[in-house]
Amino acid sequence: MGEEKTFYQEYEIFSKRTPSSAFLHQYSLLAPNEEMALIMAQENFMRREPVADIWIVNRQNIKRMNADEKMTLGRLDNKDYRTTKGYGYLKKKWRQYEQEILDEKEILSWGGERK
Amino acid sequence: MSNEEAVMDPHYTEALKSLLFQLADDDFMYSFRGSEWLGLAPHIESDIAFSSISQDTMGHAAMYYKLLEDLGVGNADKLAHFRPANERKNSILTERVNGQGYYMETPHYDWAYAVARNYFYTQAKKVRIDSLCESSFKPLAEIAVKVRMELYYHKMHWDTWFKQLMSSTEVAKKKMADANKLVMIDFGDVFSYGNRKQQIETSGLIGSEEDLKERWKKNIEPLFITLQLQVPEIPESPVNNGRNGDHTSDLDEGLATLSEVCSLDSTAVW
Repeated sequence: MGEEKTFYQEYEIFSKRTPSSAFLHQYSLLAPNEEMALIMAQENFMRREPVADIWIVNRQNIKRMNADEKMTLGRLDNKDYRTTKGYGYLKKKWRQYEQEILDEKEILSWGGERK
Repeated sequence: MSNEEAVMDPHYTEALKSLLFQLADDDFMYSFRGSEWLGLAPHIESDIAFSSISQDTMGHAAMYYKLLEDLGVGNADKLAHFRPANERKNSILTERVNGQGYYMETPHYDWAYAVARNYFYTQAKKVRIDSLCESSFKPLAEIAVKVRMELYYHKMHWDTWFKQLMSSTEVAKKKMADANKLVMIDFGDVFSYGNRKQQIETSGLIGSEEDLKERWKKNIEPLFITLQLQVPEIPESPVNNGRNGDHTSDLDEGLATLSEVCSLDSTAVW
């Protein structure tokens, strides 16, 4: 996009439905300044929806990723050791050990003699 | 070449194994030193990012050790944990302690040194990985392609820290200049292949020492021009050459710490 100054600027509009919910990106619009952007966002896009708060961000103030920077988003799928899927296997392990105790000590003691 | 073909030619296999140990031991010690920063970095998000990078790098080391295992050299975990210092082929730079003190008590680690070491090491790793993507040994080239994917982000991370501190306050610049000097003292064996130089360079496994040094210099030159500084000189002959198993006492201490838990019960199933 050109660098020349224009009357209109691009604004990104964020809003949230309730005071405790997260902000969501909603739309972009053209406006001459933040105040105008706010009232236009409110009147045009949010009159039918419950809204608890609105953020207006000039697009120029957003740090975006260029193609090179997007290269840094790749990750390898070799991270089993970092993403433990819980300790579900422990139950099975306990059962196995309990079983062993039962087999060797218990059962032999019932018989009263060793092999 | 594939696994089977490589095993046939003993000359080639020797070069390959030596190179794999150099790559594995480098990333292994480097990520161990990185892991010692856990909870100590000067900023909560940088602490997490640094730890994440260290874990990624441990994953890279694991791939090289696994390849050695596939070549019949031994179990990957054992290669990582139980080889004595004089069999290790990592560069001296990767074994250096993080600063004064000990992780468990009063660590006075030097963040400037961490940033400088990570920056120069990652730049060197980038050059080596790019070259390895063209390796004559297919399984190694495949690993390099994978590592390169994560290296983009590691490099951007340390490039950003380095650039910012190098052009920050006078105190920061002074600390960084001191740290850069310390890093460069140990840089002499980073691009060295040690005694295996001739075998490795003729094997087509990776570019020559000189070639990689040149590319490293070319990659970092633009930043140093912006900073109006000279690109640091890599020492001609290192005091200790880690590639030949010639190490400092920092490595003994590091190995004792990192294998401590594993050594408590070496037959335990994890």
